[in-house]
Amino acid sequence: MLPLLEWIENSAVSTALRDSPNVFLYPTILAFHTLGLAVVVGFSSAVALRILGVAPALPLPPLRKFFPLMWVGFWVNATSGVLLLLIEPTKFLTMVDFYFKLLAIVGAVFCMRWLYRRVFLAGVAGDASLPPGAKFVSALLLGLWLGAITGGRLTAYDDTHTQWVTAIATLVVSAVLLALGWAAVRVWRIVHPMKGEQRHGRAVDELAPLAQR
Amino acid sequence: MDALLTSWLRWPSVERLIIDHLWVWGVCQSLHFVGMVLLIGTVGMLDLRLLGFAKELPVAAIKKLIPWGVFGFVLCLVTGFIFVAGMYANINVPGYIVLKSDVFLQIKLVFVLLAGLNLLAFYATGMSKAADRLQPGEQAPRLAKAIAIASIFLWMGVMYFARLIPSGKFQP
Repeated sequence: MLPLLEWIENSAVSTALRDSPNVFLYPTILAFHTLGLAVVVGFSSAVALRILGVAPALPLPPLRKFFPLMWVGFWVNATSGVLLLLIEPTKFLTMVDFYFKLLAIVGAVFCMRWLYRRVFLAGVAGDASLPPGAKFVSALLLGLWLGAITGGRLTAYDDTHTQWVTAIATLVVSAVLLALGWAAVRVWRIVHPMKGEQRHGRAVDELAPLAQR
Repeated sequence: MDALLTSWLRWPSVERLIIDHLWVWGVCQSLHFVGMVLLIGTVGMLDLRLLGFAKELPVAAIKKLIPWGVFGFVLCLVTGFIFVAGMYANINVPGYIVLKSDVFLQIKLVFVLLAGLNLLAFYATGMSKAADRLQPGEQAPRLAKAIAIASIFLWMGVMYFARLIPSGKFQP
């Protein structure tokens, strides 16, 4: 297997992409990998946040239209990802972290498809008719995306120890940020009771029939 | 002046922190991406709605997602500052030198600034208020659409040029 990988890595195409100073080659492929990430992770995370209860006045059914865009972002990243892999296959395919990243992406795609089918294809009109597990899958999706992003960043390190330390530190820092954010929102809600939100809550019911069409 | 900025922007304490704890750099990089995702996901949704995509969504409701985008932007700002302040710990070049000589970083920062001015224009021209009144199915005013296109273009530019930064030249 390794000889094959080395052959790919030393091929004319991989060498050109890797060593060329042209910013439209390697750096641009990398940039597209980031743009695609922003689209697929950005929109799917926004939808996950909505299902978790953020912006409750936002009707669910029209959010279905963002799924095709998410898949465009996904395929931009699958394509740019394969190119990036072909540039340095011996580095990525011999790295445990890279397989963690791929697993996280597979899990996240599974969550996106689950939400698409069980919430959006099923025609769920409002929060009351969300299927059981919808919030769990949304939270899982956010966690898996954090894992995929971290896994991707860690491919820049070549020793497993630093990768583990950084991965654990990322988890801890993210958990602390979430806890602080949660506490801050709690305090905010106590200081400013949710009159505005309830007004919007009523608006949802008025919009629901329109949104179903 | 140069010497002052070099030492001030170098922030030895941040540099020291990264030298002593290598994970700080990696954690900040991941959080920079998390911030980007939150910003693009929420602001992108608003921009697309203003352009007529998923018109059934009331704009005022989408705006309730924006605080997460603002949080994302703050995450990017803080981690981005740590990158500049602690640059020397990572690549042995002070952040100030990179700021001064890397054209891609400069373009990125100009794009961030323009995106900020664009947002300011969204409020100052009354388009934000006009958008709040948009009912499901209604088209946004032309000016709001122009601002939405500028927002998408600028944020995509920010991400594109950010990825080119390591390929830029950092000569003193």
